[in-house]
Amino acid sequence: MSENPYQTHDARILEVKDLTPREKLFTLRFLDPEVSERFTFKPGQFVIVDVRGFGEFPVSLCSSPTRKGYIQLCIRKVGRMTRFIHRMKEGEVVGIRGPYGNGFPMEMMEGSNLILVAGGLGMAPLRSVLWYAIDSGKYEHVWLLYGTKAYEDILFRDEIIHLLKHGSSMNCSVKLAYEVESPSCIYLEGGFSDRVCRGVVTDLFRGEEFDVNNTYAFICGPPIMYKFVIKELLDRKLSPGRIYMTLERRMRCGVGKCGHCIVGTSTSIKYVCKDGPVFTYWDALSTRGLI
Amino acid sequence: MRYIKLSSENFETFFNSLKGWGKIYGPVKRGSIYSFQNVERVTELSLDYNRTMLPPKKFFVRPRDTMFRLKDGKWENGAGEENFVLFGLHSCDIHGLKILDKVYLNEPADPYYKVRRDAALIVGMSCMPDEYCFCKSLGTHFAMDGFDLFLHELPDGWLVRIGSVRGHEIAWENEELFEEVTDEDLRHFKEFEERRANAFQKEIPQEGLADMLDLAYNSQVWKNYAEICLACGNCNMVCPTCRCYEVCDNWINAYEAVRERRYDSCFMESHGLVAGGHNFRPTRLDRFRHRYYCKSYFDPSAGFNCVGCGRCDEFCPARIEHVKVLEEVRGSLR
Repeated sequence: MSENPYQTHDARILEVKDLTPREKLFTLRFLDPEVSERFTFKPGQFVIVDVRGFGEFPVSLCSSPTRKGYIQLCIRKVGRMTRFIHRMKEGEVVGIRGPYGNGFPMEMMEGSNLILVAGGLGMAPLRSVLWYAIDSGKYEHVWLLYGTKAYEDILFRDEIIHLLKHGSSMNCSVKLAYEVESPSCIYLEGGFSDRVCRGVVTDLFRGEEFDVNNTYAFICGPPIMYKFVIKELLDRKLSPGRIYMTLERRMRCGVGKCGHCIVGTSTSIKYVCKDGPVFTYWDALSTRGLI
Repeated sequence: MRYIKLSSENFETFFNSLKGWGKIYGPVKRGSIYSFQNVERVTELSLDYNRTMLPPKKFFVRPRDTMFRLKDGKWENGAGEENFVLFGLHSCDIHGLKILDKVYLNEPADPYYKVRRDAALIVGMSCMPDEYCFCKSLGTHFAMDGFDLFLHELPDGWLVRIGSVRGHEIAWENEELFEEVTDEDLRHFKEFEERRANAFQKEIPQEGLADMLDLAYNSQVWKNYAEICLACGNCNMVCPTCRCYEVCDNWINAYEAVRERRYDSCFMESHGLVAGGHNFRPTRLDRFRHRYYCKSYFDPSAGFNCVGCGRCDEFCPARIEHVKVLEEVRGSLR
């Protein structure tokens, strides 16, 4: 048998960091230096994590490809598998295969403005875009509009607050929306009243002007969020081809075999794992059920 | 293509000679249904079978399939496959395998599927349609490739079409069993095909089907059928082109685990479920429609995903007929 695409590569957990009570950030490095060298990815791609003897699950990469030598995965504890990996410690080994999916066409967008619209855990794949854009310095301006439930749910809180304070020197502006009031939020709002507000992520568009001919939007969040954000962007006359979104489905294989992520009707069928997970709004218009 | 004739007297010898390639699996009657089983003698075969319950996909994508064995914390690949012969496949099933090929052999090729596909010798066989067949209207009633040998029934034997180098080799090695095709044989072959073409009772007009179905997305017909459907997933299991699988790790003892995949069905609620509890196909209507759209997807390079074998109709406990559903959905547009 030649190389088996379902065979995972050993990766050691270098660091486990609690981001919130539900989410942990895992920093991993491949044991085999050759694999580590060969493993390159684009923002928006995902990997399949294999906890041997317990199962596999897909997770998007949340580190930037500009930071080499390790990969990072932000994992929320929601089910059997994720509960298991949350119990794992630094030094333990998991399997990784991938990267899979198309990823965002970052090269094509060089010189443009980027608007990243994240909701909840949707921050994870967009963090990859965020740091890629900041590190490469090839993009005009980056907006991050991030909506969460509460202050405690803000992922990568240190980074986000750092960018709130010092983002302008990196051509980056961060705006936060939260739904549940808490003293920490009010404190944050006091410091950055123009950029932190109570509400939902679409409220963050208020007061922002961007050049629709030189801007790309990225959306990732819970399924309900997409149509509201898209409406907001379309109202501002952003072309559907400039609206990129990354989607989630049940994925077992990652390579277009297992059939769970098939979406569409008789005229257009897409495999989210290999045709996506990044789609433009044009795709959503021609393939029913995508969003 | 090379055409030769196999006379009835030589059929048994020919059949036995295939054992040189590997174990032979052919249609066998089990109670009221047919099934592909290992056969030793010609007499065990039921060559006049209409359709087996499980299509030949079970040899390539197994109902339960071990992918890896966990040993000392590492996944190990299983051993290779032994050669085998699939005897008596109808052309719809050969087309079904070609559709599976498009998925499983597409890069990166599925290694389990590929090794079995390479190990299989495929001997096709002509058939007469029954009340469920509608392959003719989908163009899958005649296989031009995807087999090694194809046997067409003649009054005094078989007209054999050779579809691959491997098929050529088998014919070459058993040259004494075969004779040249005569004009009379060709006349019989033509007559058989004409008789067969007129025997179809069901058809599905392909013209504009993909578009019409898409336009009828919100049709009441889907809703009516979703009420009747039991969502048992039988149609997925017996479909020669349904291929969804689910992966699970099972511990066989305290030290060893296997990673297995098994058939999954898009009628199961878990099919569209993701972590956190969101379901992308929450209702039976969504799932019912999804299957029909998946089967009726018109791939410009490969055609429809349905081969018209009639299995989903015959084995549906709610007696839902594939063609009738599509016709009614199309009709509801008016």
